[in-house]
Amino acid sequence: MSNIAEFAARLDEAARTATATQQIDPESVMSLEQAYQIQAANIAHRVERGEKLVGVKMGFTSRAKMIQMGIDDVIWGRLTSDMRVEEGTALKLSDYVHPRVEPEIAFLLKAPLAGDVSASEALAAVEAVAPALEIIDSRYKDFKFSLPDVIADNASSSGFVIGNWHAPDTDLSNLGMVMSFDGKVQHVGSSAAILGNPVRALVAAARLAAEAGIPLQAGSIVMAGAATAAEWLLPGTYVRLEMQNLGSIGFHVQE
Amino acid sequence: MNNSNVQDAADLLDQAAQSGEWITPLRDIQPAFSIDDAYAIQQINTDRQLAKGRRIVGRKIGLTSKVVQKQLGVDQPDFGALFDDMGYGSGEVIAWGSLHQPKVEAEIAFVLKNNLDMPNPGLVDVLDAIDYALPAIEIVGSRIDKWNIRIVDTVADNASSGAYVLGTTPRNVKDINLDLCGMVMERRGEPVSTGVGKACLGNPLNAVVWLARKMVEVGQPLRAGDLVLSGALGPMVEVQPGDIVEARINGLGSVTAVFGTAQEVSA
Repeated sequence: MSNIAEFAARLDEAARTATATQQIDPESVMSLEQAYQIQAANIAHRVERGEKLVGVKMGFTSRAKMIQMGIDDVIWGRLTSDMRVEEGTALKLSDYVHPRVEPEIAFLLKAPLAGDVSASEALAAVEAVAPALEIIDSRYKDFKFSLPDVIADNASSSGFVIGNWHAPDTDLSNLGMVMSFDGKVQHVGSSAAILGNPVRALVAAARLAAEAGIPLQAGSIVMAGAATAAEWLLPGTYVRLEMQNLGSIGFHVQE
Repeated sequence: MNNSNVQDAADLLDQAAQSGEWITPLRDIQPAFSIDDAYAIQQINTDRQLAKGRRIVGRKIGLTSKVVQKQLGVDQPDFGALFDDMGYGSGEVIAWGSLHQPKVEAEIAFVLKNNLDMPNPGLVDVLDAIDYALPAIEIVGSRIDKWNIRIVDTVADNASSGAYVLGTTPRNVKDINLDLCGMVMERRGEPVSTGVGKACLGNPLNAVVWLARKMVEVGQPLRAGDLVLSGALGPMVEVQPGDIVEARINGLGSVTAVFGTAQEVSA
C-alpha cells in the first residue's frame, strides 16, 4: 500500500505541530496490520530526528473496551524518549491536539522479554514497577477516529510520566488508584481493571512487540494500560496520581 | 407532611416487599415528601419488622459516592437498618426469590466493640470503637419499579437495602490502608467493578463517623456488636440468577456472593 508513507508523514506532522488532521481510514477498511505499518513508519520519523525508542504502551486493556471496539486483543503503541514528561514538571497544552490523561502502572525490564512468555517469566524480567500517568492525544480532527486510525496514530500515545521505581515485590493485581486534579478526585479505580492484572498486559506486550520486530529489551519501559477512564487535561491544573504501595506522582498543565 | 400520607407510603413499600410487585416512585404519590418524612416512613417499616421478630444487627450507609450523590441531587449519605436474616456467609447460596431487583457493590464492613453513644462522636471515637473489619458485598434492592429512585424513595425504602455477604477473616483496621485499598469485583474472571477506599466519602471511616453522629442525633446510637456497611468502593453492578461474584479488597481478603437460580426458587 503506497499510502503508508504518506499517512505516516501526515500523522507525524500532526503530532509534531500539534495540529489536527483528517482521518486516514474513516470507513475502517484497513487491516490492523496495515495500521501498524503506518504506526511504525510514523514513529520512524521521530527516530530519524534523534528520538530513541524506549518502550511500548498497551491500550484497550479492558474487556469492555475490546468489546466496544470490536476486537479480541489489546492494541499497542511505541514510546519514544521525547514523549517523557518529568514527574513534577509542567507540560504545555499547546503541544497537544486533544490531550487526556489516564492512570497506569509502568514496568521497567532488566532482561529481554520476547514472544510467548508466561506471567512468571514476565515478572522475572521486571527490574521495577512505578505509578505512571499517560497523556493520550488523538491527532484527528473533531476527535473522530476508527480503530485503524487509532493504531496508526501510535495508539494515541503522546506522553508519559513515571514516578519512583519500586522493587516488583508487591502484588500488582489490585492496587488502589486515585487520580485528582488540584486535589479534587477525578477517577478512582484499581490496577485490576488492567486485564484483571497488569502483568497480563506485560505478557501481551512481550508477544506483540516481538511480532512487530522490536522485541522488548533490558531497559525497555512498558506502560500497562489505563486503570480508569481518561480525563481531559485543563490548563492550570495539577494532575496527581496516588497508588497503593507505590506512592504518588504528578505534573502541572500550562496553557 | 400529614401522618396518613407517611403511613400510606410505608404500607405501599411493605406490600411491595412482600408481593414483589414494585411500586411507582413515592414522588408520584406525594411530591412534597421531605427527607425527614422519608426517614419517618423507613421507621414505620423498621418497627413493623421488629414487631415480626426480626432483629436489627446494624446499619448500612448509602449514597457515599460523589457520583451517586450528584445523580440524586444530594450532598449527604443516608442510612438503613440491617436485619439478622439479611446476612449471608461468603459462598453461601442466596435464594434469588428473596431479592428485589438486586445489584451488588463491594464495601468494607466494620463491627463495633464499644457503644458510640457520646454526643457528636468523631474519628477517634469511631477508631476506638471498631473491633474489626471484613470485606463485604452488599446486595442492594429496590421496591421502586426499575430503580427509578430519588433521595426520598431510597431513604423511605430502607436505603435500598436487600442482603449482604460478609467475608470471614476479621482484620484490624490499623493494618489496612483504608484510603488506597484497591477493590475489584469479578464475575467469570472479568473485572466488572473496580474502585478504592477513597471512593467512599474520601475514606470509609468518614462514612462511619457520619453514621455515628446521625444515629446519636436520632436517638438510636450505634452499640457494641453492631455491624456497619460503610458504603460502596466502586460502581454497583446488576446480577442475574446463578451469578457468582467475588470481591477482593486489598488488605482485607475476599468475599463471594453466590446467587441461586430463579428455578430453584419456584421449585
